[in-house]
Amino acid sequence: MTFKITRRGALLTSLAAFAMGSLPATAQDYPSKPITLVVSYAAGGGTDAIARVFAARLETALGGRVIVENRPGAAANIGTEVVADADPDGYTLLIGNQGPMVVNPHLFDLPKDPAETLEPIALIADAALVVVVGPKLPVKTMAEFLEAAKAGELVYGSAGNASASHLGALLLGQKAGIAVKHVPYKGAGPAVNDLVGGHIDFMVTTIPSAIGLVQDGTLTALAVTGPERFSTLPDVPTAIEAGVPDYTASAWYGLVGPKGLPPEISAKLAAATAETLADPEILSKLQNDGAIPSTLAGADFGAFMAAERARWGEVVKAADIKIE
Amino acid sequence: MWDMIANLGLGLSVALTLKNVALCFVGCLIGTLVGVLPGVGPVATIAILLPVTLSLDPTGALIMLAGIYYGAQYGGSTTAILVNIPGEATAVVTALDGHAMAKNGQAGLALGLAAIGSFIAGTIATVVIAALGVPMTRMGLLFGPAEYFSLMVMGLVLAVVLSRGSILKAVAMIVVGILLSCIGADMETGRERLTLGLHMLHDGIEFVVLAMGIFGFGEIFKNLADPEARDVVKAKIGRLWPTMRELRENLAPMLRGTALGSILGVLPGNGAILGPFASYAVEKRLSKTPEKFGTGMPAAVAGPESANNAGAQTSFIPLLTLGLPPNAVMALMVGAMMIQGIVPGPQVIERNPELFWGLVASMWIGNLMLVIINLPLIGLWVKLLQVPYRLLFPAIVAFCCIGLFSISNDPAQIVMAVIFGLIGYALWKLDFELAPLALGFVLGRLLEEKLRQALIISDGNPLTFVTSPLSASLLVVAVVALAIAVSPKAQKSREDVFKDA
Repeated sequence: MTFKITRRGALLTSLAAFAMGSLPATAQDYPSKPITLVVSYAAGGGTDAIARVFAARLETALGGRVIVENRPGAAANIGTEVVADADPDGYTLLIGNQGPMVVNPHLFDLPKDPAETLEPIALIADAALVVVVGPKLPVKTMAEFLEAAKAGELVYGSAGNASASHLGALLLGQKAGIAVKHVPYKGAGPAVNDLVGGHIDFMVTTIPSAIGLVQDGTLTALAVTGPERFSTLPDVPTAIEAGVPDYTASAWYGLVGPKGLPPEISAKLAAATAETLADPEILSKLQNDGAIPSTLAGADFGAFMAAERARWGEVVKAADIKIE
Repeated sequence: MWDMIANLGLGLSVALTLKNVALCFVGCLIGTLVGVLPGVGPVATIAILLPVTLSLDPTGALIMLAGIYYGAQYGGSTTAILVNIPGEATAVVTALDGHAMAKNGQAGLALGLAAIGSFIAGTIATVVIAALGVPMTRMGLLFGPAEYFSLMVMGLVLAVVLSRGSILKAVAMIVVGILLSCIGADMETGRERLTLGLHMLHDGIEFVVLAMGIFGFGEIFKNLADPEARDVVKAKIGRLWPTMRELRENLAPMLRGTALGSILGVLPGNGAILGPFASYAVEKRLSKTPEKFGTGMPAAVAGPESANNAGAQTSFIPLLTLGLPPNAVMALMVGAMMIQGIVPGPQVIERNPELFWGLVASMWIGNLMLVIINLPLIGLWVKLLQVPYRLLFPAIVAFCCIGLFSISNDPAQIVMAVIFGLIGYALWKLDFELAPLALGFVLGRLLEEKLRQALIISDGNPLTFVTSPLSASLLVVAVVALAIAVSPKAQKSREDVFKDA
């Protein structure tokens, strides 16, 4: 359903809001004021870019304003806390991704456990990673890569401690039974730069950060880490096809709100998210970002997060990277 | 050669369409504005405007966003010169002699030289991108963690050369700067260091918070404590335009600054910030009157400003030739390209020549526009100095607070900046210089990051810094420069300054 804002309508709405005072919001008049969508990262990052594109289209689907607010800091835990502390009225929501939602609980002693203080609304998108090598390690296939890794410890760069590119490579090492050495960078850009410059051996990085250089032949993509091949890299096998059993890793983004969100509002938001993700324009933008839109919502999304949390917990434990 | 001219011709034909000229103008204007406003940087501006660019074609969108970036560099120097608030690391150097010139009644000259130097640097850098983009990319790739670390060591030596007073005090300030840069989560283990358990310190201190605190708020405390000193600024306005002779005298610093800025701008991880510092050190070394540096030398504004602008422009090279962003603004440009469906990478030049060359050509047009926007404004800016301070300083404070709050929508940043303001004021009272502190802070992060990366890669073997020829030669230069700086002759010129002061 669409919601047209007329002058009389707006007047009536505001009068109604005034008359109702502090009555709890109902799904019918939701949203009657701007929604704040919290992003736990600084303006300009990958999550921020997705959030802004998503929010712009969500406004149309919901018929109300959606304002992106950046609350970066403390390994994205600040944003989580802000939303966990907010009123569960549907006017403060969070773009949650796997870092703060399922990895950080294993690394930090968090005052607010995201699984207990946040309500899953809908998974937005899931972005597979890609295993790439540069001029320092001129192998062409995953088999050659594993061979080289057995001959000597390989060095990989990541976008930072506990980032998807760090954990993705850790898990690759664990699943393939090879020893790998971690060099953290500040963001994927400088790490890819050193990969191209031949200072490090490999990376497990987001598809957009490397795809241009892969298509050009500067870097070689050995495998994508999703369950299926990626449409713009059709010749690159999945890691499982390439001989690393049971290895998948991805960076995902979802919509979550404070615990206790009225189910009708949650359902309305999930429907609006589904409508947004069905828009071909949004679809192609997500694809450019290496992401596949998701259909998981509500409890299914919650179950997905729980499974991810358990899985990455094992990786963190095996690598012993907990922060005290 | 002919190829390049043909390519630039194609670029100009794209950039000179009415729509693209208008977008370039809008970008430059917004950029100037966010640059002038203390604390509001190009990163936040571009991030917020990114969705707006969806409705534009890719070339137009990038032309506008690029305009915001170099426009902000331009505007930033205005604030640094007039009110001593460097909003970006690169403007710290401009503030040194630029603000001193404003106090001497030469604000117009300082602003004029900054604008003209930036224009010359922008023009040359445009040609450099067109002619040398690919070889310079290769040069940038030679810098791995070990080479980068040695470059940063050289940068720290520059910080010593930069200082005017006691070497011991300068070194102390550099060390404090480095220590401040260590605050926050450890990059490798994630463990918190020096955070006092405070959430807001987990990710370290933002440079803007430090700069606005020690320079911006510190300056305000200074002026409020000493009303006579600032009335002097008010009384003297002086000429607005540089004379031909002054331009001639400053042409060589501008060209040297351009060369240094162009080279350092290509380096990944914000190597461009070293450009203005290197230019300042070079000019001081070459100057017949090095003791006057810090008291308002025109060459100390013209050189670093040119380096700043040249670096801002050549930092587009890794983005355009490899699709690799060397800094946060360039990362946003990658985002803008992705949103438009263009995959950044080496193939952009071949697949989208009109975008590549159009953007390059637009940079030159943008620089011309910035001169046209800014030169008439100089008179207006200088008049700002005549506004009674009791009216001016609340406005500065208000703008600073807006900028600080917008960093992470958190009032804690403002509190932190005020604390730094008090520290800055105390250090000034005790005759400590603040520029080495700022440089130590900026370089400290890179220094630690690169040191640790290099040592992880080399399995902890420190020989990695001397087995690489590039790294070894940088270290040699650093040692020689340090030796010259602490030599008796240089010491003497320092003491002379001390007597004057």
